[in-house]
Amino acid sequence: MSSTSVTGVGHLLRLVLRRDRVRLPLWVVGLGGTIVASALAVPPLYDTPEKIAGYARTVGASPVSYLMSGRQVGLDTLGGIVANEISQVAQLGICLMVVFLVVRHTRAEEESGRAELLRSTVLGRDAATLAGLVYGVATALLVGAITTTSMLAAGLDAGGSLTYGTGLALLGVAYTAVTLVAVQLSTSARGALGLAGAAVAVGYLVRGLGAMEDNALVWLSPFGWAQGMDAFGDERWWPAALLLGFTALLLAVAARLMAHRDFGGGLLATRPGPARAGRLLSTPFGVAARLQRGLLLGWAVGLFLLGMLYGAVIPTVPDLIASNPEMADVVGASGQAAEDALVDAFLGYIYLFMAVIACGFVVSSVLRLRAEEEAGRTEMVLATPVSRTSWMAATTAVALIAAAKLTVLMGLGLAVGYGVGSGEWDRVLPQVGGQLAYLPGTLVVGALAVALHGLLPRGTGLAWAAVALIALQVILGQLLGLPDAVQAISPFWHLAAVPVDDFEVVPYTGLLLLTAALVAAGLWGYRRRDAVTG
Amino acid sequence: MAVIELHDVVKTFGPTHALDHLDLTVEQGEVHGFLGPNGAGKSTTIRVLLGLLRADSGTATMLGGDPWHDAATLHRRLAYVPGDVSLWPNLSGGEVIDVLARMRGGLDEARRTEMLERFDLDPTKKARTYSKGNRQKVALVAALASRADLYLLDEPTSGLDPLMEAEFQEAVLELKQEGATILLSSHILAEAEALADRISIIRAGRVVQSGTLAELRHLTRTTVIVETDRPADGIAQVPGVHDPEVHGNRTTFDVDSDHLDAAVTALAGLGVRSLAAHPPTLEELFLRQYGDEVDS
Repeated sequence: MSSTSVTGVGHLLRLVLRRDRVRLPLWVVGLGGTIVASALAVPPLYDTPEKIAGYARTVGASPVSYLMSGRQVGLDTLGGIVANEISQVAQLGICLMVVFLVVRHTRAEEESGRAELLRSTVLGRDAATLAGLVYGVATALLVGAITTTSMLAAGLDAGGSLTYGTGLALLGVAYTAVTLVAVQLSTSARGALGLAGAAVAVGYLVRGLGAMEDNALVWLSPFGWAQGMDAFGDERWWPAALLLGFTALLLAVAARLMAHRDFGGGLLATRPGPARAGRLLSTPFGVAARLQRGLLLGWAVGLFLLGMLYGAVIPTVPDLIASNPEMADVVGASGQAAEDALVDAFLGYIYLFMAVIACGFVVSSVLRLRAEEEAGRTEMVLATPVSRTSWMAATTAVALIAAAKLTVLMGLGLAVGYGVGSGEWDRVLPQVGGQLAYLPGTLVVGALAVALHGLLPRGTGLAWAAVALIALQVILGQLLGLPDAVQAISPFWHLAAVPVDDFEVVPYTGLLLLTAALVAAGLWGYRRRDAVTG
Repeated sequence: MAVIELHDVVKTFGPTHALDHLDLTVEQGEVHGFLGPNGAGKSTTIRVLLGLLRADSGTATMLGGDPWHDAATLHRRLAYVPGDVSLWPNLSGGEVIDVLARMRGGLDEARRTEMLERFDLDPTKKARTYSKGNRQKVALVAALASRADLYLLDEPTSGLDPLMEAEFQEAVLELKQEGATILLSSHILAEAEALADRISIIRAGRVVQSGTLAELRHLTRTTVIVETDRPADGIAQVPGVHDPEVHGNRTTFDVDSDHLDAAVTALAGLGVRSLAAHPPTLEELFLRQYGDEVDS
């Protein structure tokens, strides 16, 4: 980068801040607020040395905790407990934040053509990339600072708080660099989001697996490096160098790619398509399904692999009892019964966790309706004899059916992973059935997005807020001691926690009926409102 | 029989009056030019006709039905080209054409092939790689390849090159010969002048003039440029004459169409050496319409 190639980056950053004057505070306050609340909630819960010691032997040593939060050191201190409790939300949250924000201001701008207009002004060739970098780094540092401050406010060890906040911020910085590479590769913002999102998922899963198996795999993931700084333990700083080196390396790659590509171009070329439409494209349902093909395929592969991975580690769950007898007391049984109870608890959490992830799919799928309408493409469809109801119903059906298919796939993934890991193939149906026990929760969230699109088109973002709230309830609901009235917002809270609890028909059917009602309300509203026009 | 009949239609977006008691009539079988500057309400009118927007008040009839309530039924007989064409980025142009045509209830294969050829469009390219003009062509081919009674064309040639513009004009005239009705919103006045049987000029949400080109011309002034032996100083006194400019023997002035006879008579005694009179072009009509309104 020469100095003239970044001319105008200041102007660009001001524009970025102006455009994100709502979005940025939402991310920072949402993520930072969750971290603050969690950090402050831990000390009152663990107010005796016995309770703290108990945490280290039970919760902190559970397979779910290893898989989701890694192996946090210092679990016999309050700081270690706080770090362990917040790390899942904080680490995934900071990575997703920089991915969304950076893609939004780099590739999305370029794809829309707005960047072209800007580039015609006195603006260097690399200014947009540099602005993306500065923005991502600054937001990551901000969230890291909030984390350290809230830990200090909770009365935790100063050195540990600083180390933890630094590791978290540097993780965000590293994924800013990952995102900047992704936006060079793909010509579409959606593609770049997919690539960068997959990189987050891989880093998170690799660390989780490594922690579960307690092996060197954790050192292949930026998540592992951040955690490897051992905040509230030895507090070593050399893993920070790994994060920074990784960042520098990726930035060099991004700069090189940037220098060799055209404006608007990428490395993944666009291939020509068919001259005629296939038979599938003869109905609104077929068209809606075709438009979502890429989205569906990506999620199907991702969630199947995720299921497999979780399935594969199930056989190692009972080992934790052997190495930790107190675990048996926690699950209230011993011997084979304890092992089964532990596996059930693990499975229940995995089902729930994957169902919540599927909520992300179903919302992004339904909200394609909104994107299509804003882009003006719905206008062309509605100018044909296709009615509003059938167009919206087609997209809704695609989204909800796909959610059901993905649920079956996740269950199959679990079963296959379990089969590979244990050599036993007798659990296929129970796994699929268990995963399906959580499907109505996912469907209700999709139906909420449908209702919002029909009744409150400007408020479709609330569907994402609902997903965030549900994730929060699932991951931190108990820790934060949320009252039942608040927890009840999550549809999953009403469902039986299969396989720990027995399946219950009433809430299951109730949520399915609610899904139908919300979809009907959305369709009703859509018939009555003005189309959003560009 | 009127194919489109809008009467006293009002549509507001918050404080903005997009349509302000708009009246518009489009007769069966005519090409109706719909002219107006940016933001005058052309696209809003078309979106009301498409049932995308619901009028706040007033009556709207299209093809004998209610554009809002009977939208899907009426759209069997209608084809639409938006002014700002957005296509599904991951579908090819050919796929988009087929999708829209099938939704409309089938397409004429021969015409599809013919239109692709006439508009020189490669249907295998992904929509995300098309230029603005090519996206426009995809929408045009999709509309023109299916048979419809009514074509709603919202600035259909923005981004087209002059060759394609000529193809477009020819295609519209063919549609007209087949008896179709066309509402053509446009900025390109030469295009409206070449194609339109009748014209409506819209300004700030209302139609301010409507009629055939001849009628509109009649309502306005003819420009006269004359060279005479003796200076035509007296021309300013003739009623109906505007903006006379006398430079020695050369005189230019505008005259109201119904006073043209008196003006020519006044010139007769002055020894006319050359005389050129031309009715206003549509562009002059248009500019004059706005100039006058702005002045008043």
